[in-house]
Amino acid sequence: MSEQLVEHFFRREYGRLVASLSRRVGVRDVELAEDAAQTALARALDHWSHHGPPDNPAAWLYRVAHNVLVGELRQRSTRARILDGAPAPDAATPAPALLAGEMQDDLLRMLFVCCDEVLPVESQIVIALKILCGFSVAEIARRLFTTEANVYKRLTRARHRLRDVLKDGLDAPPAAARLPAVQRVIYLVFTEGYLSSHAQLALRRDLCDEALRLGQLLAEPPVGATPETEALLALMHFHAARLSARDDGAGGLVLLEDQDRSRWDRDRIATGLMWLARSARGEVFSRYHAEARIAAEHGLAETFEATRWDVIAETYAHLEQIAPSPLVTLNRALAVAQVQGPEAGLAIVSGRALEPPTWLAGSHQWSAVLADLHRRCGHEAEAERYRALALAAAPNEAVRALLERRLGTAHD
Amino acid sequence: MRKFLCVQRSLTTKTGGDGEGPSPSEMQAMYARFAEWQAQFADQLVDMGGKLGSGKLVTDAADSDGPFVEIKELVGGYMIVSAEDLEGAIEVARACPGLVRPGSGVEVIEIHTP
Repeated sequence: MSEQLVEHFFRREYGRLVASLSRRVGVRDVELAEDAAQTALARALDHWSHHGPPDNPAAWLYRVAHNVLVGELRQRSTRARILDGAPAPDAATPAPALLAGEMQDDLLRMLFVCCDEVLPVESQIVIALKILCGFSVAEIARRLFTTEANVYKRLTRARHRLRDVLKDGLDAPPAAARLPAVQRVIYLVFTEGYLSSHAQLALRRDLCDEALRLGQLLAEPPVGATPETEALLALMHFHAARLSARDDGAGGLVLLEDQDRSRWDRDRIATGLMWLARSARGEVFSRYHAEARIAAEHGLAETFEATRWDVIAETYAHLEQIAPSPLVTLNRALAVAQVQGPEAGLAIVSGRALEPPTWLAGSHQWSAVLADLHRRCGHEAEAERYRALALAAAPNEAVRALLERRLGTAHD
Repeated sequence: MRKFLCVQRSLTTKTGGDGEGPSPSEMQAMYARFAEWQAQFADQLVDMGGKLGSGKLVTDAADSDGPFVEIKELVGGYMIVSAEDLEGAIEVARACPGLVRPGSGVEVIEIHTP
């Protein structure tokens, strides 16, 4: 008698409802759509608990949310009419039936709205997680390891900014020019989930799943189905395949070197390879192609030692040219160290004023790699200095424990 | 088995609202817990009842405004459960997710049948 709804049904429906309703009221009034979606879900919780879910839960929700929204708009216009002496509005239209394809289109449009260049990228991520993925402020804060106040601030600013800028963005089709920004947000949501050492595995997996879902949505023709999007999907599948093996089951992380490769999800790796093959067209070799290539090499290697480090080092060099970043350089140094020895790896990173990124996860990795390379070169003092820095920058106990295992305990 | 009327009462507590209501995920979790509870006590849930709207106590008193409070401020919903005794019925009601919590309580009253 207690029919189960699919996992994340409420959260996903929230995103669909907001996206579809926003098309009707305009993105400027996205908050109205959000309130209507929230109310519809609350009514569903109450009604379905007592009477069981309807045959078509999604359609039920849409009808209720639409009615709530229309009711709210009518109240508003009545208020406005009283104030302005304006004429009465047209009679409300009943909720139009939505085709599945239209729903997808609405979500996609909304995704493009969230990735508007007028917003700082941190705000793009937050508003996408809120509107499209149905996370609450508290849930976003927990997943991005930041405070609720910070998330709330980013969200409020994003909404104000969007309201100032948009006449009605949803009437325009998703613009191809914004595609890189959309891919970037999906990529960052994924890496926040994948790389974050802060949250529990389940929370990290949530972000990875959402990024995969949005990526899949984007890969539907016509606007987003580019080789870059396909490479991004390949990359995410390769990483997601290793997610479980990366977790030691006790809140700690397992390094690639020590992972039980039999726990990697072979089906996912196969899916990644399918996307990678599909992405091998066109003229652009994007950062996503490079990263997918590297991830594929890891995914296909039988053991850590048997990894084709030369290919990986070469691809990192390529990636460094397309998308320079301290972490890319760092990873190239590690790969080169595997091929040519630690001195060659160290030569790449020493003498450069490279700053680790501040707001993304993983800045402690920087010092850890330097400590490791110096130790392998026999530079005890330098190794110790970076080791101390890495431990001090460790975001939590699990990472600190991992670093101590990896870098050894303090020398007396 | 005896039958009991369970009436949800909103308790007026001054707990500051936290702004955000439950998130979609939380609502789904609540739904799942509720379904679990329904399955667990399926034999005892005679009538799932429903929500109650506003109402008014009607009396023959001249002063119809009376000292009475409008019912909607007090009652959220009702259901009917069967149990061996009052304690058994209380157990079912207490286990119902979201019923007994800060700001909400349940009144369990036996229904006498001739």
